Amino acid sequence: MRGIGKRFGATEALAAVDLSVASGEIHALLGQNGAGKSTLMKILSGALVPDAGSIELDGQPYRPRNPLEGRRAGVAMIYQELSLVPHLSVAENVFLGVEPTRRGLLDRVLMRQRTREVLAELGSPDVDPDARVDALPIAGRQIVEIARALAAGCRVLVLDEPTSSLPRPDADRLFATMRRLAGQGQAIVYITHFLEEALAAGDRYSVLRDGRLVESGATAGVPPERIVTAMVGRAGSEAYPRSPRQAGEALLAIDNLAGLTRPNDASLTVHRGEVVGIFGLVGSGRTELIRAIFGLDPVLRGDVRVMGLGEAAPTARWRSGAGMVSEDRKGEGLAVGLSVADNLMLTAFGPWVTAAGQRAASGPVIGELGIRLADPLQPVGQLSGGNQQKVAFGRLLHHDVDLLLLDEPTRGIDVASKAAIYRTIDRLVTRADRPCGVLIVGSYLPELLGICDRIAVMRRGTLAPPVGAAETSEHALLLAASGGGN
Amino acid sequence: MRRNLVTLMALLGAFLLFAILVHSETGDFGFVSGPNLELILRQTAIVGTAALGMTLIIAAGGIDLSAGAVIALSTVVLAAALSAGLSPLAAAILGVLAGAAAGALNGILVTVLGVVPFIVTLGTMLALRGVAKGLAHEQKIDAPMTWVNSALAALKPEDRWMLFPPGVWLTVVLAVLVGVTLNYTRFGRHLLAVGSNEAAARLAGVQVGRVKRRVYLLGGALVGVAGVFQFARLSVGDPTVATGLELDIIAAVVIGGASLAGGEGWVLGSLLGALIMTVIRAGGSQLGWSNWVQEIVTGAIIVTAVAIDRIRHRRHG
Amino acid sequence: MPKPLSILSLALAAALAACGGGARKDAGKLRIAVIPKGTTHEFWRAVHAGAIKAGEELGVTIEWKGPLQENDREEQIKVIENFVTRGVSGIALAPLDHAALVQPVANATRANIPVVIFDSDLKSDDYVSFVATDNFKGGALAGEALAQALGGKGNLILLRYAVGSASTTNREEGFLAAVAKYPGLKVVSSNQYAGVTTETGFQASENLLAAHKTATGLSVDGIFCANESSTFGMLRALVDGGYAGKVHFIGFDASPKFVAAIKAGQMDGMVLQNPVNMGYLAVKTLVQHLRGQPVDKRIDTGATLVTKANLGDPAVAGLVSPALAP
Repeated sequence: MRGIGKRFGATEALAAVDLSVASGEIHALLGQNGAGKSTLMKILSGALVPDAGSIELDGQPYRPRNPLEGRRAGVAMIYQELSLVPHLSVAENVFLGVEPTRRGLLDRVLMRQRTREVLAELGSPDVDPDARVDALPIAGRQIVEIARALAAGCRVLVLDEPTSSLPRPDADRLFATMRRLAGQGQAIVYITHFLEEALAAGDRYSVLRDGRLVESGATAGVPPERIVTAMVGRAGSEAYPRSPRQAGEALLAIDNLAGLTRPNDASLTVHRGEVVGIFGLVGSGRTELIRAIFGLDPVLRGDVRVMGLGEAAPTARWRSGAGMVSEDRKGEGLAVGLSVADNLMLTAFGPWVTAAGQRAASGPVIGELGIRLADPLQPVGQLSGGNQQKVAFGRLLHHDVDLLLLDEPTRGIDVASKAAIYRTIDRLVTRADRPCGVLIVGSYLPELLGICDRIAVMRRGTLAPPVGAAETSEHALLLAASGGGN
Repeated sequence: MRRNLVTLMALLGAFLLFAILVHSETGDFGFVSGPNLELILRQTAIVGTAALGMTLIIAAGGIDLSAGAVIALSTVVLAAALSAGLSPLAAAILGVLAGAAAGALNGILVTVLGVVPFIVTLGTMLALRGVAKGLAHEQKIDAPMTWVNSALAALKPEDRWMLFPPGVWLTVVLAVLVGVTLNYTRFGRHLLAVGSNEAAARLAGVQVGRVKRRVYLLGGALVGVAGVFQFARLSVGDPTVATGLELDIIAAVVIGGASLAGGEGWVLGSLLGALIMTVIRAGGSQLGWSNWVQEIVTGAIIVTAVAIDRIRHRRHG
Repeated sequence: MPKPLSILSLALAAALAACGGGARKDAGKLRIAVIPKGTTHEFWRAVHAGAIKAGEELGVTIEWKGPLQENDREEQIKVIENFVTRGVSGIALAPLDHAALVQPVANATRANIPVVIFDSDLKSDDYVSFVATDNFKGGALAGEALAQALGGKGNLILLRYAVGSASTTNREEGFLAAVAKYPGLKVVSSNQYAGVTTETGFQASENLLAAHKTATGLSVDGIFCANESSTFGMLRALVDGGYAGKVHFIGFDASPKFVAAIKAGQMDGMVLQNPVNMGYLAVKTLVQHLRGQPVDKRIDTGATLVTKANLGDPAVAGLVSPALAP
C-alpha cells in the first residue's frame, strides 16, 4: 500500500500511509482508537475506497470496490464483531454464499469434508463441522471465521482485535494458529491494543497516529515503552496513576455467596479508599459474581451487604450509592439510540427533563473524562468506542456513587481513554470527602497490577482470598487463574 | 424535530395535491375550505388519540395489537353505562377506564409472563373483542343521545367560535400532555431507555417492569379515549367496530417516524401520520376514487414514508 | 432534505391514472349521492341499476359510494361526511344502523342537503322520505307460505340476520306475527344471528342445524332467513348436511343460486323485494323534492313471493334477475 489517503468530510483520516506486508509475515498494526487503523484495513479489504494512493497484491495493481471484490482477490477481514450466522452449522457458515451443490441440492458431504480439512489446517480438528455456531465459544467462532476466509482461498488475512474478548489460553492458541498460517505462506495483519501481545506475536509492526504512519520495523528487541511513546506521542510513564491511599470502612462485604451456576461460596470485602481487582479467565464466574452483587443475577445462598443493604434490585443499589459498569457495552451498558446526556443521567433523572438541564448536568462529567463529542444531546452511538465507554463509566460519576463495580471497564478502548478512566478511579478513591471503594474485574494483568491495591483470583467459580498488588506478579496471578500451582 | 418536519412536508404535499386534484374536478377550492379541514380533523381524532398511546408503547419497545378491540370494548361499556342511566360524564369516564384496564392487563401479561408483546396483545385482541361482544350480548347497544355525541360532530352554527369540535381540542391537549411526558419527564426517559436497550435500563436501575406496566396502562387509557370518540360518532356501543383499526394506528405511528424496534417515537409525527391517512381517504373519497384505489395509495404512502426515513438515516449515519 | 413531496405526488398520480379519473362535474346538473349499506351484495348492484335509470331519465348525475362491509358504521358515516363537505345536491342513504346514522343525517340536513332514506329505517325525522319494501309485510308473506306448506303444523326455525338492521328485524317480526296465527306452528329457535357475511351465516346455520338434529334427520319442519347472506349460508348448510329438500325453507332476496335451489326443490321459495324499483324511486323522490314537488313521507316498493310455480312469469323473471349495474 503506497501513499494511501482518505478524508471524511473535513477530517483527514489517513494521509500518505505506506504499508507492506510480505507473505509468511505477521504484521502488528498499532495505534490509538481513531488513529486510522480500521480505515486503513477497510481500504485494504475493499469496504472503503481510498482518495489517494495505490495498492499492489502480488505485484498486480489491486483496487477493490467492495469487500466481495477484496475477498475474491484474496483479502479477508475478520472483524471484532464476528459476521457469522448463529443458527447455522460450522460447515454452513464456512461455505455461506459459496455453497457447493450437486444436482441443485446442497452437497453436505463435500461441505463437511472441506470444512474438516480447513479446520485441520488451522490446527483445530476438534471443532465439529455440524455444531451450531451459537453453541461455540467466542474463540471457536473466530476459528470458524478464519476457516471461512481460508476456504475461499484468501492469502491476506486482516484480524481486527481478535484477542480482546479471548481468555489468555485461547489467545495463545490463536497466536499459534496465526503462526501456522504464516508458515503456510499467508500474510497476516493483526490489529491490537495489547502491546506485549503485538510484540510477542508479530514479526514486524507499524504504528499509526492521527492518520499518519509514525513508526515501523521488526518487533525483535523493541521495548514496549517505545511503542507507547509512538502511539501517544509522548512518554507513557504515567500509565497507571496511583496516589497514596487509606482504606476506611467496609462498603461491600460478601460471605459465601453462591449464584445459580457461579460463583461458588465467594467471600470478599471492599473498603472505602481502595481498589480491589478480580482476575479470572472468561467463564471463571467473575462477571456472574459482580452481577449477583448488583442484583442482576439471582443469589442462591450466602450473604451480600452493599452499602449496608442486603440482597436488592439494581434500583435500590443505585439509591444506596453503588453503581456498576457492564462488560457488554452495547448489550447492557448503554442505550445507544439515546443521547449522551440521557445515558449519563439515566440512573438519576429529576422528575422533569429539559435540554438545558441535561447539558448543564452532563457538563462536569464530560469535562472530567474528556469525552469527545459535538453535543451532549447527540446519540451516544455516534461516538467512538472509547468515548462510549467513558459515557458508561461517567454515569457513575454523575450519580456520585460511593462504590464502583466495574466489569472490564477498559476493554477494547484506546490508551488515552483508558488513562482518563484510571485517573478518575484514582481521584475517586483518594479524595478527602467520602473516598470511594472500587471493585474491578479485569483480564489484563498489567492494568490490574497498576491500579489495584488488592487482587483476588477467580477460577472455575471459586474466589481465592485477595493478595496485595505489591506482593504478587503477573506470573503468579496467571498461574493461579489458569490452574497451575496451588 | 427534523423527523417531524419530514412528516409535515409529506402531509402538506398530500394535502396540496388533493386540493389541486379536487379543484380540477369541481372547479372550486372546497378541499381547503373550513368545513373540509374540520372534517379531516374530526375523522382523525380517533386514530390520532389512539396513536398517542401507541407512540408511547412503541417507543418503549412494545406493540399493542388489541387497540381496535379495546376501542370496541370502550364503546360498549360507555353505551351500556349510558343506557343503565349513568350520567354522560360518568359513562365516558367508565369508557376510558375500560381502556386503561385493558392496557393494565396487557402490561401485566407482558411483564409477569415475559411473553413478547406481539403475542400477548394478539391474544388480548381476540379475547377483549370477545369480552366486548359478550357484554353487548353480540348486539350493538343503543344509547340515548347526550352531549358526549357532540364531541366529534360537525359544529352547529352557534358553536362556530370553537373553531373545531371539542373532541379535536381534547386530542390536541392530550398530544401536548403525552409529548411533555415523553420528552420532558423522568418517566419519558425511562420509557425510551427501556425501548432502546432493556438490559441497559435494568442495569441502570430503571424498574423495567413497572415502566412497561405504566406505559401499557397509559396507552390503554388513551385508546379508551379514542373509544369514547368512536362512541360519540356512532352513538351506539358497537362490539364489531374498529376491526383492524390497530393497523391504522400503528401505521400512523410508523409514518410519524417511530421505529418498531423501540427507543424512538414522535408525538407530533404520529398525529401528522394519522392526518396523512385521513387526507388520502377524504381526498380520494371526494374525488370519487374507489375504495381499492385509496387502499393501494395508503399502502404505498406507508412504505414510502418509512423508506424515506431509512434513506435519511443512512445518509446521516 | 429528501423529497417526500415528489415521491408522494408520483404515487398519487399513478393511482389517479390507474382509476382513470372521476366523473367530471357538469355545470348546473343536480348531483345525487346514493349510499348503499355495502357494495358486495348483488342486491345493491340492482339498486344501483335503478338509481342509474332514474338518473338518466331525470337528467341528474348519480354518485355511488358505500362501505365494503355491511357492518362498517364508521365507514358509512365517513362517506356521508365527505359527500356533505364536498357539497352534493341530495343524498339517498340506506342506513346500516338505525341509530348511528342519525347524527350524520342531521348534519346533512343542516347543511341544506336533503336526505332520502331507503331500504332500512332511521330513528329520526330529519329526512324527506322513506322509500322501502314494507318488510313486515314481506316477512308475513314468508310466514303465510310456510304455514300453508306445513298445513299449519310443525316446528320452525328463524335464523335472524344481524342486530341493528331495521329492515331484517321487521321481516323477522312480520314472519313471527304471521306464524303466531297458527296454533299448530311452534318456533323452536328465533334467537340466533347469522352475522353479516356468508361465512358467519354458514357457521351459524351449521350450529343451529346440529342443535336440532335427530337420529333420522331434523326435528324441524320449516326455516326462514331474512336476507341474502343468511339464506345462502343456511342453504349451504342444508345441502352439506343432506337435509336440503327434506325441510321447508323460505329465504329472502334474490340470487341465481336460490333460483337453482328452488328449481331443484331445495327451497320452497324466496321473498323478493324490488331493488331496481327501490333505487329508482329513491332517486326520483329526492329529485322531485329538490324540484319543489311534494313527496310522500313513506313509499312502499313492494315484495313478492317467488316459488317454483310462478318462476316463469315475466314480471317475476324481471325481479329474479334484475338488471345489475356494472
